[in-house]
Amino acid sequence: MKNNDVIVVGGGLAGLFAAAVAAGQGRKVKVLAYGAGAMNIGGGIIDVLGYGNDARPLASPAAGLEQLPPEHPYRKIGKQALVAALTFFQQIALAEGYEYIGGIDQMQWLPTAAGTLKPTCLVPRTMQPAVLQQTDTVYVVGFDYLKDFYPHLVAGNLQKRFGRKKSFIPLTCTLNFTEGRDVSALDIARWLDTAAGQESFVQQLSGQVKPGSAVLAPPVLGTACSYALVENLEAVLGCRFLETAALPPAVTGLRLRTMLLRHLKKQGVSILEKALVISAVVNDGYCAGVMTDNFDRQRAYEGKAFILANGGLYGGGLSAEPGRIVEPVFGLPVAAPAAQEDWSNPQLFSDQKQLFAKLGIRVDEKMRPQTPEGATVLSNVHIVGRNLAGYDFCFEKSGNGVALASAYQAAMSL
Amino acid sequence: MKKHRINPDRCTACTSCIAQCPVTAATRKFRGPKMMGPALERMRLAQDDEDPSLDYCSNCKNCDISCPFGVPVSTLNMLARAKQYQKKNQRLRDNILSHGEKMAKLSSAIPGMAAATNFGMTIGRKSGLLDLIGISGKAPLPAYHANSFVKQFKKLKQQSFPDKVVFFPGCFINYNDPQVGLDFVAVMQKNNIEVIVDEDFVCCGSPLVVNGYLDEAHENAVKNTGLISKWIAESYPIITCCTSCGLMLKQEYQELFGLEAVQENARHMYDSMEFLALLQDEGRLNTDFSPVDAEYLYHAPCHLRAQGMGLPALEVLPLIPGLKIANADAGCCGISGNYGFKADKYDIAMAVGQNLFDTITEADVDTVVCDCGTCRLQITHGARVKTVHPVSLLRQAYRV
Repeated sequence: MKNNDVIVVGGGLAGLFAAAVAAGQGRKVKVLAYGAGAMNIGGGIIDVLGYGNDARPLASPAAGLEQLPPEHPYRKIGKQALVAALTFFQQIALAEGYEYIGGIDQMQWLPTAAGTLKPTCLVPRTMQPAVLQQTDTVYVVGFDYLKDFYPHLVAGNLQKRFGRKKSFIPLTCTLNFTEGRDVSALDIARWLDTAAGQESFVQQLSGQVKPGSAVLAPPVLGTACSYALVENLEAVLGCRFLETAALPPAVTGLRLRTMLLRHLKKQGVSILEKALVISAVVNDGYCAGVMTDNFDRQRAYEGKAFILANGGLYGGGLSAEPGRIVEPVFGLPVAAPAAQEDWSNPQLFSDQKQLFAKLGIRVDEKMRPQTPEGATVLSNVHIVGRNLAGYDFCFEKSGNGVALASAYQAAMSL
Repeated sequence: MKKHRINPDRCTACTSCIAQCPVTAATRKFRGPKMMGPALERMRLAQDDEDPSLDYCSNCKNCDISCPFGVPVSTLNMLARAKQYQKKNQRLRDNILSHGEKMAKLSSAIPGMAAATNFGMTIGRKSGLLDLIGISGKAPLPAYHANSFVKQFKKLKQQSFPDKVVFFPGCFINYNDPQVGLDFVAVMQKNNIEVIVDEDFVCCGSPLVVNGYLDEAHENAVKNTGLISKWIAESYPIITCCTSCGLMLKQEYQELFGLEAVQENARHMYDSMEFLALLQDEGRLNTDFSPVDAEYLYHAPCHLRAQGMGLPALEVLPLIPGLKIANADAGCCGISGNYGFKADKYDIAMAVGQNLFDTITEADVDTVVCDCGTCRLQITHGARVKTVHPVSLLRQAYRV
């Protein structure tokens, strides 16, 4: 419990990436995780910035950076650190054999399980929308028991989007699952992990898809964080494979989590599970340790620096009470209007960012918490990811980008 | 107690537990932790409905570990399963597997009886009798030891020290693997600590809970909790070498039975490796280890991971000079107490453990270190390697 350089609170993307950056700087890092993190249920892609303040799609993530308001995390972090963060992430991915493709000067419009397109920045090799541009024929493959992906709907919507230049052809693959429960993309990915599953899949497609085409499927191309399966399918069938963004449990998110955990293990980072951090020991603006609470007792974890990555309102890093928002570990100030009805724009699908989404902890350029007046409150505590104030990830499509950039900035500022 | 109140509505249906459940990955007969736990609990509160899928939860607790909101998913499954089992006659198989302590007491009452029981089990395995009652003849059922830990402990001559701890051996160490308990005593002695064993302790109840014998488990919980309170009043910490006993005594007694005293007791209860790691933190651990030139792989039991204390064995064992140990980090071994002994669950348990077995084979080690007794059985069975409790390696390094 002693002799740690850095304690990271939170085991989601921001926490694990902060741990990776800090470990890369030669520091001894311990991650205190409570739950398996949102990568389990997220799409495993890195959105950086998809829409501008006016709700219009951006030409590229980089094109939107300048117009962001000064309180936005990207404005504090700066473009240079954002690019460095994405580059470091891509280096880890490449070294782990699970390359991520993209950059901030290019927007990638990824097909979703509804047949719409969503803007994103970095994607695994199996989610590159560029593949769609390279062919005239796209087969949209669904599975007979999978309720979360209707190939006719997806193909129809994409056809409308792309017009007559391409044809989108729906196909349904039969699973022959005998035992009963609702089938998710994860079940099918596990089926495709097996030789029998692959054989059946290839057999069903080989008569129908013609070489040189593309196959668009839900994220089912294996659970392993590797491109071996997809490369094999592409070699056998002579076409490119593409996975859509889809509903949880998220196969692509799980692959990303596996990749980061594998990297962290090699870096000697220890991850402590079921560790709910409830308070901190702070003297004169310096944090000496954090306390976890469990069924048995509280435990203290000492460190020289602390990175708070425990997921904002949804993850438990912030907690909403009538008329106020509380940061439970350090008691950090979170400015919020006293009248709760002022937290949100009553129009659910409005063209404005939602205030409740932007509520969070204000930070300085080293990601250290500040008072509303701009004074830094804690000298060795850094706030990253969803705990940060000033951005609406849902509106902007910037969630994982802020997670990576803030984690990088915090870990490089220690 | 409020903190641990079971509230299925804390579940936001995020599916994290489904993604991390090893049984869901191994069989589609299980509808998954979320559905069987919090989602259906809301329905069960309104209407009783039998669901065969409830049978498949192994109570390994990976759902609890993965839940971001602290929903005791596995415990919801256990409570619902017990209610379901109450309505039908319990199988002989479940009765036998739940009452290892009773069986062991019967076989140790008469000299030579343990050997006879073991012989009987071999016959049962070979003749298919075990399969007939629903216990897999292929499963790594543990043999009873001729002399229980408690019996052997009484003959030990310990040096007396002002620092004392109370050891809760649990059924597996007491009746099947007493050497772990003896090694624990030797390690404590090397740290100037005297070990007390309370002969009135009974089975923690873990094997009873998973087979629906909640009332009996409750009785055991009340009895153990009373005894533990008494020792804690004398300021002695309580220590287990079995991570499932530890989890049951500290946590599941609170979740399942709401026993008030457990919250205070749990503050003074430790896993043996955590206790030693704390001694090291305080600079009090005797680190006079002889070098051990060996390489091991470590398997973290799920029931240890669920306790939120990290993996203390990996903090303590590297203090032994020359000893190399790596975390297998390959998920659940599959056995989950007596789950993998059941004929209809054996294949699932082996499928769950396959990743671990493959990892062990790849690592090319001949011994795996693990804190849990039934995990050790499964690892030996599935990966054909020797296994050892971390405390035994410490004793070896102390050369006592």
